[in-house]
Amino acid sequence: MTHEEMRDLYELYALGLLDREEEQEIEEHLQRSCPECVAALRQALETNALFGMMPEAATPPKRLRKRVLASVGAQPPEFGWAAVWASVAACLALVLVIGGIKMSGDLQNSRRELRASNQQAEQARRELQAGNAQLSRLQEALRFLNEPQTVQATFGGGQTVPPTGRVFVNPTRGVLLIAAHLPPAPSGRIYEMWIIPKKGAPAPAGLFQSDAQGNVVHILSGPVNRADTAAIAVTEEPAAGSSAPTTKPFIVAPLPAHS
Amino acid sequence: MMFLLPILAALLKEDPDLARRLKNRDPRAMAELYDRYGRIAFALIMRIVRNEAAAEDLVQETFIRVWNRVHAFDHERGALGPWVLAVARNRAIDYLRSVEGRLEKSALELDKLEQPALFMNLENSVLNIDRVRQLRGAFEKLTPNQRLVLELAYYEGLSQTEMADRLKQPLGTVKTWVRTALKLLRDELGEAAVA
Repeated sequence: MTHEEMRDLYELYALGLLDREEEQEIEEHLQRSCPECVAALRQALETNALFGMMPEAATPPKRLRKRVLASVGAQPPEFGWAAVWASVAACLALVLVIGGIKMSGDLQNSRRELRASNQQAEQARRELQAGNAQLSRLQEALRFLNEPQTVQATFGGGQTVPPTGRVFVNPTRGVLLIAAHLPPAPSGRIYEMWIIPKKGAPAPAGLFQSDAQGNVVHILSGPVNRADTAAIAVTEEPAAGSSAPTTKPFIVAPLPAHS
Repeated sequence: MMFLLPILAALLKEDPDLARRLKNRDPRAMAELYDRYGRIAFALIMRIVRNEAAAEDLVQETFIRVWNRVHAFDHERGALGPWVLAVARNRAIDYLRSVEGRLEKSALELDKLEQPALFMNLENSVLNIDRVRQLRGAFEKLTPNQRLVLELAYYEGLSQTEMADRLKQPLGTVKTWVRTALKLLRDELGEAAVA
């Protein structure tokens, strides 16, 4: 490629959109510190940054600031997730009744949970109707639970040390993890969910932090190969997350056999 | 159409010491970084993923990445703003590709393009209201097809081959649209900078 031809590609290069041959040729050229092309790349990075500021304004929820700061240990976690957790528990109970999803836990406990949850369900519906932004994740969780293809697995039921909870896997929507009694990860650390395939290495499935009450609602959105998935697991990782588990999973939820 | 102009003014006042304080693990610096770039990162990510819950996760991932990689950032010569925006965009595009099953471009490739060293010798002053206005003005002068291919590149992370497939156009045609559009933007931004 000539300089002129390369000049036309630096924006796409910096966006990671070139094919491998073009990318390789540009990188080899840049390594020679050609001043003209270094300047062209700098201009391309500036143009790309300006494009990042073109979208329409969108205001993040206030809780996101706390969540971001807590995740790097810059501020104690003070999430307002108590209401979300209560609502999830309530709506989960309703879905279980209406949809007839088979619970693998103790039926007696489930009935008590249902009775307790019914009183909270009306409140949850009101909050949803009011469009409370804090419940956006709950709404996604509910859509998840209502899908007939969703399968569930439990964890922590027989162990003496919490956490406990359930995992829901939907081939088109992704993975939903609901857990309780999970203390927030220490400063500089974070929890990471993993999809454990029947063969091969675990695939990262998102970072999350529990709230001050030890509750978690974590969703990995996107298609999941249900047939090839053996289990969902969670480990504690450095705050930036890891591409492969670096600690032993403290949550492992084996999925039921795929029919 | 409402753009981000009202909040861009804050970017002009970036504390040049902010990156150094981040490298020193000053928690207040992280709060300041979020206050400066959190809304812009959220808006950019929302434009790409169009899902608020996912956008929140991706904003969190963006700032965790910046926090954990800032040690490699040259606070004397680097520009935090363009770097944060690049990380935010790449996280969102990576998410979009995984949701859409477009896995031929790996996360590792995007990771390479958000290394702090790449953002040396840039200036935060490029991110100012006038420059965004100039870009918007230049963008409006493009033909619909030229605007479309740039949006597909920046906000959907499509390569030119993927654009050709999506638009059912010859690859050569798409490449011409992209090349011409970027050249026009470069010329307009360059002329404005000189003026």
